[in-house]
Amino acid sequence: MARYLKIIFISAAAAVFLMGPAHAGIWYLPFPEDISLNGWRIDRVIKYIDVVITIAFGLVLAALIYFIFRYRARPGHRAVYDRGDRPVNILATVCLGLLVFFSIDLVIEKMSFHDLKEVFWNFPRGANVLKVEIMPQQFAWNFRYAGGDGEFSTEDDIVAPLNQMHVPVDTPVVVQMAPYDVVHAFYVANLRIKQDAVPGTVTTFWFQATKKGVYEIACSALCGIGHTNMRGFLTVESREDFQRWLAGLGTETSSEEDVWAAEETAGGILTKWGWKWQAKSQ
Amino acid sequence: MSHQQQSFWTKYIFSTDHKTIGKQYLFFGLFFLLWGGLQAMVIRWQQIYIGVEVPLVGKLIWPDSGGILTPDIYNQLITMHGTIMLFWAITPLLTGAFGNFVVPLQIGARDMAFPVLNMLSFWVFFLSGGVLLGSHFLKTGPSASGWTAYPPLSTPVGGIPGWGQTMWILSLVLMGVAVILGAINFVTTVIRLRAPGMGFFKMPLTVWGFWLSSILNAVFVPIIAAGLIFLLLDNVLGTQFFIAGSKATVKGGDPLLYQHVFWLFGHPEVYILILPVWGIVSDLLATFSRKPAFGYKATVVSMCTVTALSGLVWGHHMYVTGMSPLLGKSFMFLTLLISIPTSIFFLNWIGTMWKGSLRFDVPMLFTMSIVFVFGLGGLTGLYLATVTSDMYLHDSMFLVGHFHYTLAASVFMASFAGIYFWFPKMFGRLMDPLLGKIHFWVSFLCLNYVFFNMIVVGYAGQHRRLFDPAVYDFIKPLMPLNKMISMFAFALGLVQLLFFFNFFRSLFRGKKADRNPWKAATLEWTLDHPIPHGNFQGEVVVKTGPHEYSHPDFKGRDWIAQTEELPKQ
Ligand SMILES: [Cu+2]
Ligand SMILES: [Cu+2]
Repeated sequence: MARYLKIIFISAAAAVFLMGPAHAGIWYLPFPEDISLNGWRIDRVIKYIDVVITIAFGLVLAALIYFIFRYRARPGHRAVYDRGDRPVNILATVCLGLLVFFSIDLVIEKMSFHDLKEVFWNFPRGANVLKVEIMPQQFAWNFRYAGGDGEFSTEDDIVAPLNQMHVPVDTPVVVQMAPYDVVHAFYVANLRIKQDAVPGTVTTFWFQATKKGVYEIACSALCGIGHTNMRGFLTVESREDFQRWLAGLGTETSSEEDVWAAEETAGGILTKWGWKWQAKSQ
Repeated sequence: MSHQQQSFWTKYIFSTDHKTIGKQYLFFGLFFLLWGGLQAMVIRWQQIYIGVEVPLVGKLIWPDSGGILTPDIYNQLITMHGTIMLFWAITPLLTGAFGNFVVPLQIGARDMAFPVLNMLSFWVFFLSGGVLLGSHFLKTGPSASGWTAYPPLSTPVGGIPGWGQTMWILSLVLMGVAVILGAINFVTTVIRLRAPGMGFFKMPLTVWGFWLSSILNAVFVPIIAAGLIFLLLDNVLGTQFFIAGSKATVKGGDPLLYQHVFWLFGHPEVYILILPVWGIVSDLLATFSRKPAFGYKATVVSMCTVTALSGLVWGHHMYVTGMSPLLGKSFMFLTLLISIPTSIFFLNWIGTMWKGSLRFDVPMLFTMSIVFVFGLGGLTGLYLATVTSDMYLHDSMFLVGHFHYTLAASVFMASFAGIYFWFPKMFGRLMDPLLGKIHFWVSFLCLNYVFFNMIVVGYAGQHRRLFDPAVYDFIKPLMPLNKMISMFAFALGLVQLLFFFNFFRSLFRGKKADRNPWKAATLEWTLDHPIPHGNFQGEVVVKTGPHEYSHPDFKGRDWIAQTEELPKQ
């Protein structure tokens, strides 16, 4: 009787457990759509770890369940005295260590570091690269484009309307970012990118969008009372549309820009848009 | 150490007896567990009923907003929930309660090395809790910059009004002082006061866990204390150690410096909290599998290796701060290395149960569940240790799910295992096993539901600390699942009331326990309740290891106490 009760309890628990996601209409949630040239690299390393941990956790779980039935205390059953310190155990331990090191640690390290070195930390150069400066502030996003001369902190810089970032499709975009006040983080789920903006530091990242559309920009580092509402929009459009948009912004915003430009490096301290494009990433 | 003529005050309040201090920490920790837990309930309420009055307590606590949460109250709640759970619930429950109560007994000591310091440590801890609680009564509310208190948000530049941040820093510094005093005491006690025959490799793994954890405390807590004092100066004296960029008026400040200092402490802190758990799990698995701990020495070496590595990996919290590629590579490599020692003692845990005779008493249920939840928690750490996957998962609900698996699930399940296990030794009575089993099963199911699905929504892109996640279109489809998470969180909270009921009822009405209800072999079970001040009468001589169960040549019972000889071969 007690045994049936147990089985009923366990199935009921399992049902409740699975019902939740079923009720929510989802079980395994896919990633947000990847619209970037290199997002697949991040998804790939995640998928590899998925496989590794499913195997590892599956083994632990299988052992737990098997042991619960096979080795439960019952009349006539006695534990086998085994300290697990014979040479064969030590050998097994060393083998496990090596297995973990070579099949998990090294593979992940190589995969991830390869992507970093060749892609994410290898900034594209050349004429078709678009440079953007981002200055997050409590609680909005400012975007600045270099204008015709391709140089920042000059007369023709173009500042986009608040929270609006436009980039041309299939074009490498290199971003430099420094916040106005506190730590923020630029996060676009569809690009698989998160990058902190830390006062006093210019952080750099790059991406290349491959699909037209409007995507959400979020701030993913707690920055105060309006953190949640720090929502921006990334518009990926054709090169022509992008040029038209940029040209339509006029010089009004950039004349306000001049005021800031004058105090840009007062005392060597960054003020507002105070940083010149950092040469290291060209 | 005279036991005569103790007044009520010296016996129960300003006691220098490690057992009384342990119990004081236990009640202290349970109080804050309840407090932090209630905050978690309100946070989950906010995630699904945005702008709806918090039932029962809302109007009472936040009369100004009519019981409705506002973004600043929400930020205060997440800050306080994290701070309280880590430093005022987990720390007193593990190191405070079990460390104090169990460690001297298990090594055969008459008390801690410095009993007065021990008392002082508790009362400084108590004071720190008072300061933190006091900050809730400020008109502007407590700190709201997150439990990590990253500057410049946590400085006047951040724009958060009031004295909440300052009181938060003061309470943490006081807590740090208490922890350092305690750590010095533990380290010394284990080195100096082991009974004759209690070699390092005869110590129960619980003692190893607390000892290594105390070493980390003694080394790394002073670092965060120093960092916080600089933050305090930035807040009250107008210095700019951690302020840079447009808002700085002098050169030289750097918010990243704070992040380095914080995580140089913050990552070891994870191990400070989890090492005792590993020790307790290793010992309890042996006791309830009626087998010696499998690969005892390998487990010890693994725990020492993790302790050594813990101070070298803090950078994995800062991959997306614009860290230099070389540093990113090294921190990733060092962090991934931790998987080797952890997988070794996982193997040993499985080995301990293998061919055992498993008794599913309540402490064992909680212990086995830790193998499950810590397995998930540890493995999900791989994603965050890797720089590229961290680019996507950093600061997401995935991270929240991951550390709740490792810190909330594992640590609280271990605290419960410890409470059910040592309750008879602490109070001379047993807790009710049926209520214990219900408490276990409901907690286990609910916490897995909650934390696993946090991982799921994090995978799907939801980032954390959102007052209203539905602001974002890409999160809107996740709201039904967020709602279910909240429902299960409420159930998880509710069933803890059953635990509190069982705990307090058993204090007075529980079945009287005999000296050794679990048939365990370590030294504390050789003593009758109540254990007098000074613990052991006469000399204790240790002759065998801590887990001599089911020895084939020992007839009559299946355990050999540490004071008994092993049978001759
Ligand atoms: Cu933010
Ligand atoms: Cu860490």
